[in-house]
Amino acid sequence: MRVPGHSADHQWSQQHLSHYAEGDLPARARWRLDRHALDCVDCERGLRAMRALRRVLAADGSREVRAPRGILDRARAAAADRQSR
Amino acid sequence: MTPGGPETEAELIARAQAGDMDAFADLVMAHADRLFAVLLRMTGSRDEAGDLAQEVLLRAWRGIGGFRGGSSFFTWLYRIAMNEATRSRQRAARRPPSVPIGEPGAPGNSALDVPAPARDEPGPQAEQRELRDALARALASLPPSYRAAIVLRDIEGLSTREAAEITGVSEAAFKSRLHQARLKVRAAVGDAALLGIT
Repeated sequence: MRVPGHSADHQWSQQHLSHYAEGDLPARARWRLDRHALDCVDCERGLRAMRALRRVLAADGSREVRAPRGILDRARAAAADRQSR
Repeated sequence: MTPGGPETEAELIARAQAGDMDAFADLVMAHADRLFAVLLRMTGSRDEAGDLAQEVLLRAWRGIGGFRGGSSFFTWLYRIAMNEATRSRQRAARRPPSVPIGEPGAPGNSALDVPAPARDEPGPQAEQRELRDALARALASLPPSYRAAIVLRDIEGLSTREAAEITGVSEAAFKSRLHQARLKVRAAVGDAALLGIT
């Protein structure tokens, strides 16, 4: 097993975990990261962590958030108030 | 008006541009919850998000006459919201902090919509709460442009094209922000917390 943090591939992989998870890496770059992650515990875990991060954030986005009631009435009142000044 | 059916967005926009506030109300109410959600996630405070939402609606009402339909109404409205939220964050950054955003136990003050903690939470729920608190703190510590990237793309689930349009940058520039923001959040939260390793 490689010692993390001591290769150009490791530094590069750590910087491109989000690109990988997003599907933004071209095939050759994807292969480079895949190959490195096979030997590197840190990067393999980093990839799983990046995917988990996206899942948690997306799950939060699917929660229903309701705007406070009367938000538009407040805006209407503020508009009328500013117009009258 | 569409015969026998509800008015289309284009019809409502035309009426709003002619000064009809009821049409404007119908137009924006369809987006009010998502608008508020974005502002809540950008500010971490329900009170501040509510105030900003009011300001956004006011600006939209005053600016509707200049809306030319080059982008969708939704994109246009969100752009106003992101500008307001960014300005608000920049002002807040210049002030000394009072209640930290996302502070555990501060109800309604979180970039993520964290409900109030229950007593004697079982282990997995407590871990989920800790993770969400850590994420909220990490998001709060990001510069507004990075935070906007995560809010729009990862939390709101907009496409890169939409999110880039809303933030007023190229898709390449938006992606660069997004990737940097994710790396910072990952570093702040830690892989073990994200993967549920204790």
